[in-house]
Amino acid sequence: MNPKAAFPERCDGVARRDLLRIGGLTALGLGLGDLFRLQRTVAAENRSPGRKAKAKSCILIWLDGGPSHLETFDLKPDAPAEVRGPLGSIATKLPGVRISECLPKTAAMLDKLAIIRSMTSPLGEHNFGTHYLLTGYKPTPVLEYPTFGSVLAHVRSQSGALPPFIAVPNFRVGGGNMTGGGYLPSQTRPFSVGGDPAKPNFKVRDLDFYKGLDLTRLDRRRRFVNALDAFERAGENSPATDPDLARAFNMITSPQAKSAFHLSEEPQSVRRRYGGKSIGQCCLLARRLVERGVPFVTVNNRGWDTHNDLYTRLKEGFTGAKVGVGLIPSLDLALTGLITDLDERGMLDETLIVVMGEFGRTPKLNTAGGRDHWPRVFSVLLAGGGVPGGQIIGSSDAVGEGPLDRPVTPADLAATIYTLLGIDPKLELHTSDGRPARVAPYEAQALREIVG
Amino acid sequence: MSAFVLLMAVLAAGGGETPVDFDTQVIPVFTKAGCNTGACHGAAVGRGGFKLSLYGGDPAADYRAIVLELKGRRINLAQPDDSLLLLKSTESLEHGGGYLLPDEGAGANRLRRWIAAGAERVQKRRLVSFQVQPKRRVAERVGSIVRFKATARFNDGAVVDATPWTVFTPEDAAAIKIDPETAVATLLRRGRQIVVARYLDRVVPIEIITPLADTAVDLARQPRNNFIDDHVLDLLATLRLPVSPAASHAAFLRRLTLDLTGRLPSLAAQRAYAENTNSGKRQQLINRLLASEEFNEYWTFQLAKLLRIRSQPEDTQGALAYHRWLKRQVSAATPYDQFAREILLASGDTHKVGPANFYRTVGGARKQAEFASELFMGNRLRCANCHNHPLDRWTQDDYHGLAAMFAKLDRGRVIKINPRGKVTHPRTGAAAIPRIPGGEFLDPNQDGREAFATWLTDRNNPYFAKAIVNRLWKALLGRGLVEPTDDLRDTNPATHPALLAALADDFVEHRYDLRHTLRRITSSATYGRSAQALPQNAADDRYYSHALTRPLPAEVLADAISDLTGVAEQYGDQPLGARAVALFDPKIESESLDILGRCARLESCETADGAAGGLTRKLHLFNGPLLNRRIADSSGRLAKLLTAERTPEEIVDAFYRRALSRPPTSPEREFWNRTVAGAGGQKQQQELLEDFLWSLLTCRAFVTNH
Repeated sequence: MNPKAAFPERCDGVARRDLLRIGGLTALGLGLGDLFRLQRTVAAENRSPGRKAKAKSCILIWLDGGPSHLETFDLKPDAPAEVRGPLGSIATKLPGVRISECLPKTAAMLDKLAIIRSMTSPLGEHNFGTHYLLTGYKPTPVLEYPTFGSVLAHVRSQSGALPPFIAVPNFRVGGGNMTGGGYLPSQTRPFSVGGDPAKPNFKVRDLDFYKGLDLTRLDRRRRFVNALDAFERAGENSPATDPDLARAFNMITSPQAKSAFHLSEEPQSVRRRYGGKSIGQCCLLARRLVERGVPFVTVNNRGWDTHNDLYTRLKEGFTGAKVGVGLIPSLDLALTGLITDLDERGMLDETLIVVMGEFGRTPKLNTAGGRDHWPRVFSVLLAGGGVPGGQIIGSSDAVGEGPLDRPVTPADLAATIYTLLGIDPKLELHTSDGRPARVAPYEAQALREIVG
Repeated sequence: MSAFVLLMAVLAAGGGETPVDFDTQVIPVFTKAGCNTGACHGAAVGRGGFKLSLYGGDPAADYRAIVLELKGRRINLAQPDDSLLLLKSTESLEHGGGYLLPDEGAGANRLRRWIAAGAERVQKRRLVSFQVQPKRRVAERVGSIVRFKATARFNDGAVVDATPWTVFTPEDAAAIKIDPETAVATLLRRGRQIVVARYLDRVVPIEIITPLADTAVDLARQPRNNFIDDHVLDLLATLRLPVSPAASHAAFLRRLTLDLTGRLPSLAAQRAYAENTNSGKRQQLINRLLASEEFNEYWTFQLAKLLRIRSQPEDTQGALAYHRWLKRQVSAATPYDQFAREILLASGDTHKVGPANFYRTVGGARKQAEFASELFMGNRLRCANCHNHPLDRWTQDDYHGLAAMFAKLDRGRVIKINPRGKVTHPRTGAAAIPRIPGGEFLDPNQDGREAFATWLTDRNNPYFAKAIVNRLWKALLGRGLVEPTDDLRDTNPATHPALLAALADDFVEHRYDLRHTLRRITSSATYGRSAQALPQNAADDRYYSHALTRPLPAEVLADAISDLTGVAEQYGDQPLGARAVALFDPKIESESLDILGRCARLESCETADGAAGGLTRKLHLFNGPLLNRRIADSSGRLAKLLTAERTPEEIVDAFYRRALSRPPTSPEREFWNRTVAGAGGQKQQQELLEDFLWSLLTCRAFVTNH
């Protein structure tokens, strides 16, 4: 049986185009005489981040489809059965705090983690919710905003041959058509490594020379293309070199960059620590990437849109499994493996880890044994990167229906993440036609419990 | 301000005399204060246990929620001020939504009066028309002010200044600031801006233009080949955008041949066109290409993407039949109205009846309704699945009514009528009644498709012709007059509304002939403009002051690579030499087409390209077989030219002509003479030419239409 048929990864087929009614940019909003001056300004955008970064890099574990807060970090053991759901809770390192029975290793290191249980958003559709969570902005028809990784790629000065924003294994989030880069130049979009890092033959394709080619010839080809483009654009005021072409060339010709993708270099003991599922090996790859200076890695884990049979999907993995290998146990291994590994290497303090999806799930189970979309309250986990651990921030009400106190919006979360990464949430960027836009919305407030 | 004060005065003076009407006077209070938005009580599940219909679309339900639910505690007839409705909205009691209605403001007063009079719903009157002035305004400069005035007309004859109760929302809040109290807009940015005015169930777009430059441009001497140029130049003049000159003959030939046939012009075609001295040669070329077999092949591909022709699991026969049928229609120039009818009314064995596969393209009657409306009306009914469309006229009755029509079909391999098929209307819980969108209900026991097709293809249908001509325009100009092309509605107006209407009329008058409209558009001076931008119009991506540079569709680029290298690509089990645009099924295996970003046709193919993988694609160009295998192929064009002992200069020249439809310019010739000609050994010479060819296949000028 095709597992996809039984568990569709998404409940709707709505694509990004619903989000963007107008397309790229707003109507021309500037005197065109000003344009080039502005374009130069954009090119030379003040990229000094402005504050001292606590975190040098960020690994975002994206639980695509919307993870159930009631089965992961915000269980309601005392609620009626239809709210409580089929999973039990366990005690954690923090007195009085309980999380999912499927997260025992996470429970044991909760003193290193912070959980926000009072996230709240009005957007219960995948594309909209994803845009809000990944950019801090509610989607609007006039402008697609850039996600965290693209902003970081834009603001941080590039070092090394690896792309600054990498998606493992891909960036098919929130309906699959989001570019990630929003209004920023296309070279800030994430590079998808492709394939499945958990497969033994995993390899990023096209990094090795085609037979008969070598560095000299690739270099020559690159110079020829640049020459052709420059001839074509003579008289136009746009850059002649294609940034993607340059970056591809740099990756291919840097053995150090290529070796980042060789998971086989890791000892078996380390590989096992992350668990054998895709999410685990993706997290291991993410660690190798941030170790080599990549500022932002998105680990995209799909399948969390559990409208039906959440017990099997979240816990067991397949019906009747003796040891659960579902989404949550796999997350438990991957997350704790990553944190332990980073800690042992002395990298935890400079690597921010964020675990989230686009919304939570309905307080009551539906008739198919699943839960539907629920944005009004859900949970997000933060660790490393200067985040003070051992905190539960905010809470939901008795049945996980709404925030009880300390409501936190995705805009606030965005401001928090940017602040930790050393980017002032008020920093102004510009669209290609010169329109100013802050990296986080005007009203966003970084969480003082986290940024201090 | 004055209108507002006046109204307040009227309210104060007339207070108590005329009873407040729930449907037309209370609902706007909620809309104006934002109570019934999707982010608040208008959400599908309400908020804080209180649910209003989205933007007041369902006054009956709102009345029940306010007056009857919660044991009537929201209303206190004896002490109106103690009504929960007022206590919350004036934040006398804690309210998650905050302080929305000032205690003594017009909104609170109106609610108070309505409650004091018994909180009844008598449905006194109905809105007949809603108008906003100005509807379009050209403002002089940033900082200019525009005052909006909204007028509502009711069926009892009352004409009311609705300005205070109308919500004005700019599409771009950074471009226009609107004071909600006074409805005065201040312009913050230049350009063309849209403001949406909402009152009761009406939404009206307003267009505000601030010229992009301080000095006027003279466009009087620009050529005007047909009505298209009049419309385009008029707006450019308003915006004060100068236009680029006409494209060269060579550039025009390449652009047009790619647009109409999906191919690069052959050397023979280039020669013939260059040597033709007839002043009407552009027109001749258009006519020749429209009559060509290559046109039939390429436009079959274009329409196949629109129809999302794609094989079923384990069943390619249906897609094959569908594709063959489509090719016949394009070749025979079937009028588009007849084409649509045949698709909509098709039934029978999908392996034999091509168009019947329309009913196997998406799953279920609701998806079919969404697909049919996007395809043939350029409209999205999807929002109206769960609630009346907040920005359009569509209601749940429309959505489920259209779905009910399609529910009467069995959608297996054989499409046939199933009299018992139905869909449930989510609001009533009963079977939805088939309905023409926005029109009459149909006999639930009949196949409603005939009535739908007749309504759709009627010459006065407001959607059908516009939806297709907008798509044709986009195929040729790179951007729809309305974007996205499946979202035509009043609140998403075209950049050139009168042009869209004129094109649609022209299409209908010419018997729904696709070739006619393609000819009309390609004959315009607008289409023929150079892609070279001027410094003053470089940022223009929607007013056609210069031609837009567009990436070639994946399949067209794949074919162009095959043609240029002289080495065909193998597509799945198709015969070697099959062209990518002629493939009937996007599931036919091809790594090349996947890398180049072909549309899988699972969803609409009308989104912008999948260029997310820019780096991935470039890596593949460097190290994958797509280019490398074919450049060095011993039977390829380069190998043949070398065997024929052509000089490097001749080889460079030949590839330039085929790829870019022009010879190298003299600086280019010098560059290549310097870098590739006269290299040491034969092998080194060949490698240099391979590298030249690789760069030609990769450069921007080759992979785009411009």
